[in-house]
Amino acid sequence: MYKGAQIITQPVGKEGDLMVLNWGVQHPASGPMRIKVWLDGEKIVKVENDPGYVTRNLEKMLEYRTWENAVVNVERICFIDDLGTILNWALAVEKLADVEVPKNVQYFRVILAEVGRIVSHLIGIGGMFGALGVATPMMWVLALREYYLDFLEHYSGYRISTAAIVPGGVRFEPKKEDFDLLRKAVEETERRWDDYKEVFIDNPTLVERYKGIGIIPKELVFELGLRGPVARASGVDYDLRKRYPYSSYEDFDFKVVVKEEGDAYARFLVVLEEIEESVKIIKQALEGMPEGDKWKIRMPKKIKAGEAYSAVEWARGGIEYHVVSDGGTGAYRAKISAPSFMNIWALEYIAPGHKLADLATIFASLYICHGDLDR
Amino acid sequence: MDLAWILFKTLVFPGVTFLLLVIFATFYLERKLVADMHGRTGPYYVGPYGILQTVADIFKILQKEVIIHREADKFLFLIVPAVAFIMVSLVAAFIPYDKNLWIVSTPYDLVISLALLTSLPAIFLFAGWVSKSKYPFIGGVRVINQLISGEIPLWLAGLSVALWYGTFNYVEIVEKFDIIGFLVNIVGFLIFLVAILIVADRPPFDIPEAEQEIVYGFLTEYTGVGYLLLAGAKFLEVFVLAAMTVTLFLGGFKGPFLPGWVWFFIKVFAIYYLAFAIRASTPRIRLDQLIRFTWTVLVPLSLLNILLVLAVKAL
Repeated sequence: MYKGAQIITQPVGKEGDLMVLNWGVQHPASGPMRIKVWLDGEKIVKVENDPGYVTRNLEKMLEYRTWENAVVNVERICFIDDLGTILNWALAVEKLADVEVPKNVQYFRVILAEVGRIVSHLIGIGGMFGALGVATPMMWVLALREYYLDFLEHYSGYRISTAAIVPGGVRFEPKKEDFDLLRKAVEETERRWDDYKEVFIDNPTLVERYKGIGIIPKELVFELGLRGPVARASGVDYDLRKRYPYSSYEDFDFKVVVKEEGDAYARFLVVLEEIEESVKIIKQALEGMPEGDKWKIRMPKKIKAGEAYSAVEWARGGIEYHVVSDGGTGAYRAKISAPSFMNIWALEYIAPGHKLADLATIFASLYICHGDLDR
Repeated sequence: MDLAWILFKTLVFPGVTFLLLVIFATFYLERKLVADMHGRTGPYYVGPYGILQTVADIFKILQKEVIIHREADKFLFLIVPAVAFIMVSLVAAFIPYDKNLWIVSTPYDLVISLALLTSLPAIFLFAGWVSKSKYPFIGGVRVINQLISGEIPLWLAGLSVALWYGTFNYVEIVEKFDIIGFLVNIVGFLIFLVAILIVADRPPFDIPEAEQEIVYGFLTEYTGVGYLLLAGAKFLEVFVLAAMTVTLFLGGFKGPFLPGWVWFFIKVFAIYYLAFAIRASTPRIRLDQLIRFTWTVLVPLSLLNILLVLAVKAL
């Protein structure tokens, strides 16, 4: 068994000439986290994660907010898909207050959450190509993402960090133009999707670089508690939308994308195909939107003492809140468990044995958001 | 008169001033064309069509402080970019832009330019070595690995042309160029195209500068003038290699109606466009994949190509 601690103290030149490389904090592909890499030539011997450079103490900050204000903090868990995190907060608070929101609100929340997932997955795909030094797919998906951001902007006034969902409902009543913009975005996605697939899936160099790289065995998924696309790419059929439906997800017909291979290419395909499923859900929700003109229920200022646990399937996997109320105007304590923080630890297990060049691709395929890595 | 003409050629066209212009133009074209493939606009605000954006960027880089790593060898660190730049510029002296438009023409043009290009990796390794930093060092080692495997197909493909025309002199090669010569050397042309992408570190073979892996390779520690010279050397290398491809395989300045130098630049632009299109569409491959590809596919293929050329010539 390799013992990393011994290597650091020894001078370079002994112990098989290992080179210690700080891959991050300031590195084009690492994001604000450090990955310490022990290298033997180009081969990775050991990897150590060192997150925590963008910690904002969101959990503590939630204690100083009212139930509704906390939305603003919660959505900053990760700006790329902010809607899933707010939805979970709203669900947790409603559970505390014993409030049931009307069906039309639930459907509209599903739409918003799926828009967030599409927006996030598009960037994820662009990032996976970006790790290979080609920026074209990133630009293309960003262009497509703009249509969804137009919808969000028209509805809530903001492109990202929308604060669109609040405990007790959604912030505004959706107008007809909002739905028109969303329909346009969905149409645009379907129109471009075949072109994108041609470029993305059948790309021989991408297959060469991603196939068979960074295989996560099924056992590791259970051992480390990996979530979301990473777990589903390793053959674990687990999606909170299907297992524990919330916000009327049981009304929708969609399939959970599961791949058996567990390599980086499978993770890429899962993310790609989940976009198609999300588009399907949005179309169903647009068609079957129930009648109703009540978009926000009046929530009590103070919520009775108690505890609530809530979990939703977010873009990067299941995100869980455990909220405690002491009868005040805000949370007494809130605990957040986010998927990126779970998924990043797989890197230490799967990266050794690969070349240094594969570190960027494996890291990108784990689909990390540094916001919810550090919170 | 003769001396004045030689001085003009060396200092203005196709000499130093022109080469600086080439760097500007390459930089601008690359940004604009790649942006077009991305669905963006690219440089837009500085000057008409953003032409002066590159000038602004280069003057910004010139203003930067030259930072030298505490443990780096000061003298070598500063001298390496200049050496690299001069060596690439020397290759440009052999290229015939028109019938009588070249600075030097010897019976050994091809051999000398290939020799100069082959010694560049050593300079780049040195740039990484004297930086006394980990990422530049890895980049330098990668340059050596990559270019050794890339230059052998380059040499072999270049030599097949010399074998066919029976000369190393660029002007003579261009003069002798005809459609049969093009057809016979078409395999060599394709090998040469791949090889120049490898040698010039162009994507998908930009392994020594792989940003997402090793930051910027051997260029990481360089700032200001040093960076500009090294990056300029890389841009010039692309130009020189494209010009060599045009001269060897596409008949250089030959062409109907238009003046020779116009044809020359049209052909160079075509090679550029191909390189940029490949950059915008192909992800980077790994070093071991590249080495496997060159030694199992490219090198045997170029040897077979030489046999083919010899066989056709014997007929």
